[in-house]
Amino acid sequence: MKELTREQQKRYQRNILLPGVGMEGQTKLLRGGVLVVGTGGLGSPVAYYLAAAGVGRLGLVDADVVDLSNLQRQILHCTGDIGRPKVESARDKLVALNPDVQVEVFPERLSAANAVSLIERYDIVVDCTDNFATRFLLNETCLRLGKPFIYGGVLAFAGQVMTVMPGAGPCLRCIFPHEPDPHVPGCAELGVLGTVPGVIGTIQATEAIKYLLGLGDLLVGRLLTYDALSMTFYEVSIDRDPGCLACGQKAR
Amino acid sequence: MRLEVRVFGGLEKHIPGARFGQSIEVECPEGTTVAGLVDSLGIPRSQVFTVLVNGCHAAMDAVLQPGDRVSLFPPVGGG
Repeated sequence: MKELTREQQKRYQRNILLPGVGMEGQTKLLRGGVLVVGTGGLGSPVAYYLAAAGVGRLGLVDADVVDLSNLQRQILHCTGDIGRPKVESARDKLVALNPDVQVEVFPERLSAANAVSLIERYDIVVDCTDNFATRFLLNETCLRLGKPFIYGGVLAFAGQVMTVMPGAGPCLRCIFPHEPDPHVPGCAELGVLGTVPGVIGTIQATEAIKYLLGLGDLLVGRLLTYDALSMTFYEVSIDRDPGCLACGQKAR
Repeated sequence: MRLEVRVFGGLEKHIPGARFGQSIEVECPEGTTVAGLVDSLGIPRSQVFTVLVNGCHAAMDAVLQPGDRVSLFPPVGGG
């Protein structure tokens, strides 16, 4: 095992002190690769915390540019970044925070054409997208490749998060078989409290770090829901759907 | 029959006194479907993205059984 440098031992001291982490765990993080799909409200805390923790390789996928209306919650981006591609703005902040991290940027939408080649290069995927069409593509591609992925979603004062471990629990389609009605209002119409993606994204980053370290219990088969107004978390146990079109017996 | 219903993600605004994730006891006639329950709660069907009955996804035409635990979710899809 390659030794950590003196500087790394200091930078990651608070990680290394944790039971079950140590130098060995820190080395696992530094050798780990995480694909973050979306660098907005969820992707900002996810990428920030993964970079700070010393995850060695971060892939960022997002085709959007920074807009003034993003800055109320997308804490990776600053006022001076308006108009810049989000992945470039994000890379600047992450590299400035931790030069140990190799940040790979993909200023494109996740599509059927690029999903496999992007996902197969990483250990785990974090879903920070803002639509179910892309989530289902992530779900199906990750199932096919046997890659875990961490779903997160937010709306107004609410959020939810679940980890999908192919073969070991329900997938996203077990809970959400179809795309929502396009007329149902989303965050652009109903708004979203900026801290809600902060809370949910921070939980997603925690799950990714635990997975890389092999520590603790993941949110497999457990949809963790959050409501900021009542400041309540509620966990819904989910079973795998044997009739699921993505992971059940009827799946292709 | 009696059902244990929970609503999430803002659907609670449709039910007076309902709170996020807290169970509500609902009395329904035998044979009530998921869609019938949603209608009786006064929630527009279009706003219910997914329904879980005892932890499993259920279709709108599924018939509910006494004591079922029903959770209703809107699409929590922003990022």
